[in-house]
Amino acid sequence: MSLEKLSLALIATPGVLFLMLSLVWLLGGDIPERAMSRLTKGAYVFLTLVVSVIYWKMWQTDMHSIRVSLGDWFSVSHYHFPLTILLDRLSLPIVGITIILAGIVGAFSVRYLHRDPGFHRFFLLLHLFTFGALLVFMADSLDLLLAGWEIVGITSVLLISFFQYRPDPVRNALRVFGIYRVADLFMLLAVFLAHHWFKTASWNGMFSGEWPGHVNNLDGPAATVVAVLLVFAASGKSAQGPFCGWLVRAMEGPTPSSAVFYGAISIHAGAYLLLRIEPLLHYSKIATGLVIFIGLTTAVLGTLVHRTCADAKTSLAYASQTQLGLIFAEIGLGWTTFAIIHLISHAVLRTLQFLRSPSMLRDYNRVHAAAGGQIDPTGEHYESLLPKHVQVALYRIALGRGFYDAVVDRFIVMLAVRLAQLLAVFEPRFVSKPAPQPPVAEPVRSPAH
Amino acid sequence: MSATHSHSETCGCHDHVPPSGAVDERHERLRHVLDHAAHYLPTQGPIGVFVHHNTLHAFQHQGFENSVIEAAQLFEAEPFLSEEEYQKAREQGRILDEDIDDVLNREPDAEIIPGRLTRRKLRRALLIPGVRRVNGLDIAWQIEEGDWLQRFRSDLPPASAHLLTGDTPRQLWDICAARVRPQAAPAPHRPRRPHEAILAAKGVDLDRIVHPPLIRLVGAYLDQGIAYWPMPLREEGLLVASRRIMSQPLSIYRRHLSGVRAEFLRQEEKGMNAEDVVLDTLERLAVLPGDWDEFITAELLALRGWAGMIRMLENDVTLAPHDRVKCSLMEFLALRLTYTLVAVQDLMDDTSTWRAITVTPLKMDPLTPVARFFDAAQLIGLPGNVIAALPEEMFEQLAHEIAACNETERRRLLHLAYERRHERGILIPLAKHRALPRTQPEYDRLAAQVVFCIDEREESFRRALEEVDSCMETVGAAGFFGVAIDYAGIDDASGVSLCPVVVKPGHSVREVAVDEHAHLHEKRQWLRRAWAKITRNGFISSRTLVRGWISTALLGFFSLFPLVFRVLSPRAYGRLIKRLNRAFLPEPRTEVTFMRDDKASRDATSGLVTGFTEPEMADRVYSVLGPAGLHKAHARLVVILGHGSTSLNNPYESAYCCGACGGRTGAPNARIFAMMANRPGVRAALREKGIIIPEDTWFIGGYHDTCSDDIEFFDVDLMPEDHHGDLNRVRQSIDKARVLNADERVRRFGTAGNEIRGERALRHVQARSEHIAEPRPEYGHCTNAVAYVGRREHTHGLFMDRRAFLISYDATKDPDNQALARVLGAVIPVCGGISLEYYFSTVDNEAYGSGTKLPHNITGLVGVMNGFQGDLRTGLPVQTVELHEPVRILFIVETTPQRLMSVIKASRELVEFVCNRWIRIATMDPDDGHIEIYRGNDVFEPLVGDEEPLPVTPNSRTWYRGKSEHLPLARIDPHCARAA
Repeated sequence: MSLEKLSLALIATPGVLFLMLSLVWLLGGDIPERAMSRLTKGAYVFLTLVVSVIYWKMWQTDMHSIRVSLGDWFSVSHYHFPLTILLDRLSLPIVGITIILAGIVGAFSVRYLHRDPGFHRFFLLLHLFTFGALLVFMADSLDLLLAGWEIVGITSVLLISFFQYRPDPVRNALRVFGIYRVADLFMLLAVFLAHHWFKTASWNGMFSGEWPGHVNNLDGPAATVVAVLLVFAASGKSAQGPFCGWLVRAMEGPTPSSAVFYGAISIHAGAYLLLRIEPLLHYSKIATGLVIFIGLTTAVLGTLVHRTCADAKTSLAYASQTQLGLIFAEIGLGWTTFAIIHLISHAVLRTLQFLRSPSMLRDYNRVHAAAGGQIDPTGEHYESLLPKHVQVALYRIALGRGFYDAVVDRFIVMLAVRLAQLLAVFEPRFVSKPAPQPPVAEPVRSPAH
Repeated sequence: MSATHSHSETCGCHDHVPPSGAVDERHERLRHVLDHAAHYLPTQGPIGVFVHHNTLHAFQHQGFENSVIEAAQLFEAEPFLSEEEYQKAREQGRILDEDIDDVLNREPDAEIIPGRLTRRKLRRALLIPGVRRVNGLDIAWQIEEGDWLQRFRSDLPPASAHLLTGDTPRQLWDICAARVRPQAAPAPHRPRRPHEAILAAKGVDLDRIVHPPLIRLVGAYLDQGIAYWPMPLREEGLLVASRRIMSQPLSIYRRHLSGVRAEFLRQEEKGMNAEDVVLDTLERLAVLPGDWDEFITAELLALRGWAGMIRMLENDVTLAPHDRVKCSLMEFLALRLTYTLVAVQDLMDDTSTWRAITVTPLKMDPLTPVARFFDAAQLIGLPGNVIAALPEEMFEQLAHEIAACNETERRRLLHLAYERRHERGILIPLAKHRALPRTQPEYDRLAAQVVFCIDEREESFRRALEEVDSCMETVGAAGFFGVAIDYAGIDDASGVSLCPVVVKPGHSVREVAVDEHAHLHEKRQWLRRAWAKITRNGFISSRTLVRGWISTALLGFFSLFPLVFRVLSPRAYGRLIKRLNRAFLPEPRTEVTFMRDDKASRDATSGLVTGFTEPEMADRVYSVLGPAGLHKAHARLVVILGHGSTSLNNPYESAYCCGACGGRTGAPNARIFAMMANRPGVRAALREKGIIIPEDTWFIGGYHDTCSDDIEFFDVDLMPEDHHGDLNRVRQSIDKARVLNADERVRRFGTAGNEIRGERALRHVQARSEHIAEPRPEYGHCTNAVAYVGRREHTHGLFMDRRAFLISYDATKDPDNQALARVLGAVIPVCGGISLEYYFSTVDNEAYGSGTKLPHNITGLVGVMNGFQGDLRTGLPVQTVELHEPVRILFIVETTPQRLMSVIKASRELVEFVCNRWIRIATMDPDDGHIEIYRGNDVFEPLVGDEEPLPVTPNSRTWYRGKSEHLPLARIDPHCARAA
């Protein structure tokens, strides 16, 4: 089979699986757990093989990239929506690690979700997610990337609210959804402006040459604007800078989805985007500075907050945020290769840590016993040099998670609400206040009869 | 098996409530109210040691049936299974009509319509075939669009249908509607706490404002080592630490909580302690002293997991696994009320107005009683004209009777019927089995005796072992084998108690390397320390900034190896790790120092005595062999098998271990017991007590992992040469039994599939214990339902489906009931606690249990919560109880009712369990085997009837093969194979 076809098979497999499963579901059918397990494992074994073959062939023929064009989805006068996928030296390793990690998490979940009422739904979403993630990493244009980006976002939200019968997961999922929407707005704007100013949003048009060493084609202040917008979009996905703080809320889902999204893949999609647009990023000093600034501040805040987290998953979430901040900074500084290594290493390590997070008790006790009951106290390095009241003040900031939620709730959300109320004045029909919604009724406990 | 907390003194405080008034008295009264409210909090300590106990321990001083209903209201929980589930059980034949009749016959009867209807008849009709669900919401729809008025119910009993001929549904409905008074709208009620009032008035959920900072503070305060920075100022207590930390300048507070800083500063300035703060907030929230009780209970129950944990650690600071922090429920309450007060102030301007708000309950359709009456009239076959003709008084009584048999009442009756069928399904076959000839052949001397824990999971193993080798006998004794010790193995940092939690060990035992292996031990410790340093460093440095940068980027990729292999081939990975350990970690030969060292053996700080004297050892050995009736003619080899359970990624691991050893493994106890029993001095002392152990009998300790079914033996090298042959035989038989046991266990595991058998089944259960993705490494005590206290010969060859605790007790050798008292004193609280914990976690897994395990997040090393800030979850997860049949455990004690009650009455705790009916109990006569069942109020009732068969099967495997549901008792008779 040609490399082009293999590349297509790569992206099509999870998509087809998703379509098939959803069709069965919609038609009221049921796939037994065993079949689902075989299907999932088979699909990922197949995908791993395909990636290996592609990798091997590219290595053999010293090929730099594979581009498969499926023509245009649609075209309106000058505008074309090209369906082109690209596998090059940047996307291939990331696609590979995505498939391996998603496959392992799939194998894990077959056991973990056994007998859960949401078993079918989980795998449906997992396949959709893999499809979305592969689309992000293999898209040859911002347009197509955006499609994958949205798929990843929506599956992420649906898996946070996996336990839909409890209010907290749904509430937190909604919040994450809100933050994703705001961040995606930057992406949409960037795509729009790229088309508007440069008449292109494909990698081919924006850059020339092969990765690595491709050259930026955009220039002028417009390029800076697009770059900055994309930096914000990337920050949203990777919980950086103005969008830090949602990551803990994502811990409501089942452990394997926390692992694959917030340890492994989804969280790194932002970093991938930055790697992809690197020449553009470095063309603009503002964008470069912004990435470094966002990365470093998030890393510092993340590590500060992490120090006070007393539960397994929150602690991991902030640890991830910290490393992602460093990866952002590395990209900003132009240490591309190191950033990729860091990204992949971090994804693998964090997946393992998330999957093993219920082991924390046992692990700690074993280490405690092996150390003879004397575990070296933590937090006594540079922090002990600070005066006591500064230590307490830092602790306060960390415990308040950098006051992120407080600021967002009190200033941004409230501002938006006020603004909406203000605007409502211009819409007389809506001025009459709708009847206050009764508080969400508790699930009806069987009344006494 | 596991142990329980005694809570017999609960609520001795109901009676005297000091009057309010002077300052001291207010404080006194507040403490009293808090103590009272605290009874209702869950009593589950840090999860590393999981102790099963009655979830409703606070109600144990009153009867079971009333308590579950009362508690259901307090905790907003379910008292029984749902009516649908019982009705489904009835359809499946799990409840028979005769069970319902029997239950109804035990309830008081009354005449409702003379000559036509009695209460019993009415209730029977409401239970068989069961009422149509009237949810109070869709009645109008059912009437207009549904078929309620088109035709009568199709599943009516023929007699009722016959009585209704000539009547039409519409006519009946009209008459019901005319005569039954519509339901008055429920009156608005006063809010118990601000949360309800503010939700009603403003639609704002106060708990969602107050809980996040509270959970974060308490979580950080109780943390045992997860956070990199331990909370500063912890030594000042929760309240002061929180106050000083949270009021730091430049803080930004969440919405509605901006006043917290000023409030904390004010408290700090005035030097208020927790009680002052609580009294102050009570006053400002306008809670009158008469309402304190209700208010404080409601406030504490809103976050009951955390409050309960604080209370547990306050009562016993040693429960904290690593950092002992000073805990006080009063401080928790003060903190909670401060946040509440501030939020109320922000939302309502005035902190006392919330008292004036009334809460309107959920609306009910006023037609509800009509619809219920309409349904009941069909069920009892009461046509419209009869109803119309009923005199007012009689009609009122009928309406009242129908309303009185409400859903809770019907579920109670159905539950009793459900338990009755279970009771008969056990007792009748058991009596039949006993009446038949013994299944075990007679031998001059047994090849071996194997002492197991009473745990119901060992039932199948014991049966398998006896099936494999009929020349072996098994014995059941509580898994600490009478040896209550504080024990530290060579790899442990400090001692832990290996005995039921109600017992405080008085003796300490240490495992040490033998002298000639001291160098190996040193090397081992050195390597382990090095490993601990590396692991700990890896753990921390993967999360911090600078170290994390280097270690994550450079080393992170190597976690791909454990990640892939742990998930894809867990068993092979587990074995690899074991092999690596064996290769690099030297294993010194060890011994346990359990001899009393005479000089200065009492440790001044812990009060523990080192080791035991020989008479003390003889006492311990006697406590197991005596009640079990093992007085003489022991086999050449007596194996003592402690048990535990190993699983990965499982915060509940301890719940699967041996609760008689405080949620830990019983291996050291077994090892020490065997060594004690082998001492000539101990045997001499035992001879004086009437236990004559033959010269050539050797005791050997061992360990059974109930998850992986692995077995190991201890101190084989100390065994005399000529016993090796015996041990080999035992080993071979145990290896076969292990396979059989695994084979029987996998029938319950959906992931195993039906085709897994024999050796593959064993490999499957081994993989389960090494699998990081496995939420059900084993099912623990799930399905437990029976405890049999008596001689093994009467349950030998009886398939009990891993559902029975088997306690060896020989009444013929216990004339003064002393052994019985000792046995029941231990096993009723232990097995009763397990049974009740499973009962409640099953009937309401969200309120009493911990919900699904999948999103659980370990916090502070003390418990689990859902998501990133939730309440601590107590009880058992759904994955542990999903197969459970919630019945109270049925004890069958081989003794007479008189002897039994004399023992029960001597202990207050046993009286609560038995007389308040938290367990069911029956006696089996030691001489003729007739069974009498306890029915409350000291009444015993002989077992009559024999509708339950005793099927005969050639072996267990034939009986369970291909089935995954609960199986009835069956007699295993290898000789029946040819006949069948």
